[in-house]
Amino acid sequence: MSPITKVLLVDDHAVLRAGLGLLLSSQPDLLVVGEAGSGIEALELAAVQQPDLILLDLSMPGLGGIEALPALRRRAPQARILILTMHDDPQYLHQVLKNGAAGYVLKKAADVELLSAIRAVLRGEVYVHPSMTRGLLEDMLPEVESSDELQQWNSLSKREQEVLRQVAYGYTSNQVAIELNLSPKTVETYRARGMEKLGLVDRASLVRFALRNGLITAGQ
Amino acid sequence: MKTEILRKLMARFWELAGGVNVRIKIMGIVLGGTILLSLSLMYQVHHALTAIMEKDLVSQGISIGRDLAVRSTDLILLNDPYALNRLLLETQRNNSDIRYAFVIDLYGNVAAHTFGAGFPVGLIDVNEADPQSYQNTVQLQTQDGRVWDIAVPIFEGRAGSVRVGISDQRIQRALFDMTSQVLLTTVVVLGLSLLAATFLTFILTRPILDLVEAARSIGQGDFSRRVRRWANDEIGDLADAFNQMSAGLERANEGRLERELLRRQLFERVLTAQEEERRRIARELHDSTSQSLTSLMVGLRTLESDCDSPQVLQHSRQLRQVAAQVLEDVHNLALQLRPAVLDDLGLSAALERLAKEWQSRHSVQTSVIVQLGSERLPEQLETTLYRSIQEALTNVARHAAARSASVLVERRQTDIVAIIEDDGQGFDSEQVQRDGHLGLLGIRERAELLGGNLTIESSPGHGTSLYIQLPLVDQTIRESMIQESNISH
Repeated sequence: MSPITKVLLVDDHAVLRAGLGLLLSSQPDLLVVGEAGSGIEALELAAVQQPDLILLDLSMPGLGGIEALPALRRRAPQARILILTMHDDPQYLHQVLKNGAAGYVLKKAADVELLSAIRAVLRGEVYVHPSMTRGLLEDMLPEVESSDELQQWNSLSKREQEVLRQVAYGYTSNQVAIELNLSPKTVETYRARGMEKLGLVDRASLVRFALRNGLITAGQ
Repeated sequence: MKTEILRKLMARFWELAGGVNVRIKIMGIVLGGTILLSLSLMYQVHHALTAIMEKDLVSQGISIGRDLAVRSTDLILLNDPYALNRLLLETQRNNSDIRYAFVIDLYGNVAAHTFGAGFPVGLIDVNEADPQSYQNTVQLQTQDGRVWDIAVPIFEGRAGSVRVGISDQRIQRALFDMTSQVLLTTVVVLGLSLLAATFLTFILTRPILDLVEAARSIGQGDFSRRVRRWANDEIGDLADAFNQMSAGLERANEGRLERELLRRQLFERVLTAQEEERRRIARELHDSTSQSLTSLMVGLRTLESDCDSPQVLQHSRQLRQVAAQVLEDVHNLALQLRPAVLDDLGLSAALERLAKEWQSRHSVQTSVIVQLGSERLPEQLETTLYRSIQEALTNVARHAAARSASVLVERRQTDIVAIIEDDGQGFDSEQVQRDGHLGLLGIRERAELLGGNLTIESSPGHGTSLYIQLPLVDQTIRESMIQESNISH
């Protein structure tokens, strides 16, 4: 028999808290030691109860889950924090994982996954809802070798480089045309030719290319 | 054919006349008029004077001849060449017009003459006195000008004849002097009239130039400009009419501005209200409906763990699936209304999400780059950018038939620039802007509300780029502008 795990429920929705409480208490080794309806409340309870697991909702009035997360970690350092939320944006996931959350469960799958997620988190693993792992992996896709790209860039004509740099800075074709003393049509042609040589499809990929290779600096 | 030539001539004339300004035209009129007048006057006077003076000269010559004939009769009869000679010389001395005078005796010999050096050969034969007539005059061309040779018979031809040569040198000189005088006067008058013309053109063109300048500034939107009524003439009337027009335009413009301002404010209010309402409903769906549904699902799940009846379990599972489906629908509905991520995490995350969702729905390759740093933009700016980009992407999906689209948002000095580009079929941007595409109009209106603007670059076959530029400056500037225009009304 494993030791009892103290659980803190943080959700602004009382009915849901009650339901979750019922579900968790069906598990003999889980004990709900507190329910908080807001971030502030959660901080107080976490400090007092020192739970082993915090089920944290992200959107709450006042202090939300995202903001409360770092403070909760400080108040209850040993607690594993499992996010239970409606939001399926990878941005939220990034944010909370960065801030030390141990797992991420979507509410739409709470009935099925919550318990196994709790188990995984308590085992020391990180649990992320399967549909969202993709967003995490995308950042790790292999980067293109930069020196090759610079060579490609250097193989462009001076004019093409100038036009592409201006385009990457976000100027309109007309503005580029005026700046470089060309006709807008010529600018279009240079741009299309240069991007084709670099194998780029749109302005965003051009900007990424330029940033990656230090051809432009951000925020200018 | 004729009309063709005439037309060409007229065109040429207008090319010349239209090529110079009013000042030159008036100068030309004055100069041309003065010169023409003085030349014709000079010609007339010269002509008339010459005729009169010549007539005078000849009759003077005749009377001198007659006089000589009478006075030389006795001397010839007495055969006194010395006295005769003296008479001739004296007569010549008394009258400077006399070029020469001589007396021919009955035998055709020169009895006396005024030629000191010697009598010119052939002069005798150029004229002959007719004893029956009073006199006979012949005009000669000599090296020194015209000479009228007058032959007068002496004693009715019984004692020879007198010949007098009258030169017009003196009157030529007089005429030359007069012409020079007239010319000099003409030049002086010309100078004076040029001065007068300059002054006149100044008077004439200054109000016109004023009008031109005022018309130009009205064209540029400064309706407060008025012109002075310089004179009580047609140009003065024009100035009055112009001022009336400017006043009318100013009133109309003020009304237009006022309505525009009201329309803007209304639009802004509608936008804000709409956004507020959407946010409220989305929150409600998220915070209340969704949580209730989740509670339902969790509750069912709890029930299941305490239940042994397979039938009830089966039923409960179905109910949970229904609830999950409803939850999903509610979640999507809330997202469409207003994604919580926009409020919680900001523009970058919201756009990221929008693009991903859009890409999977329309299978158009979409990339998003947001370079704004970690600092959040003002809420109004974020909403405007998000909605504009949403609208732009909707347009791309609806019209562009694009393979890829890109969204770029970056800070440029004090501006935020958003660029939405696709490689679709494009359109004639001028025509679309003229026809007033509602979606684009909305984007433009939203941008202008924040003091920004929208630039569209597109041509058929070359894709479309929308450039949205929004000033990052605090909204207070815009508000103070609105207040200012309120005060001025």
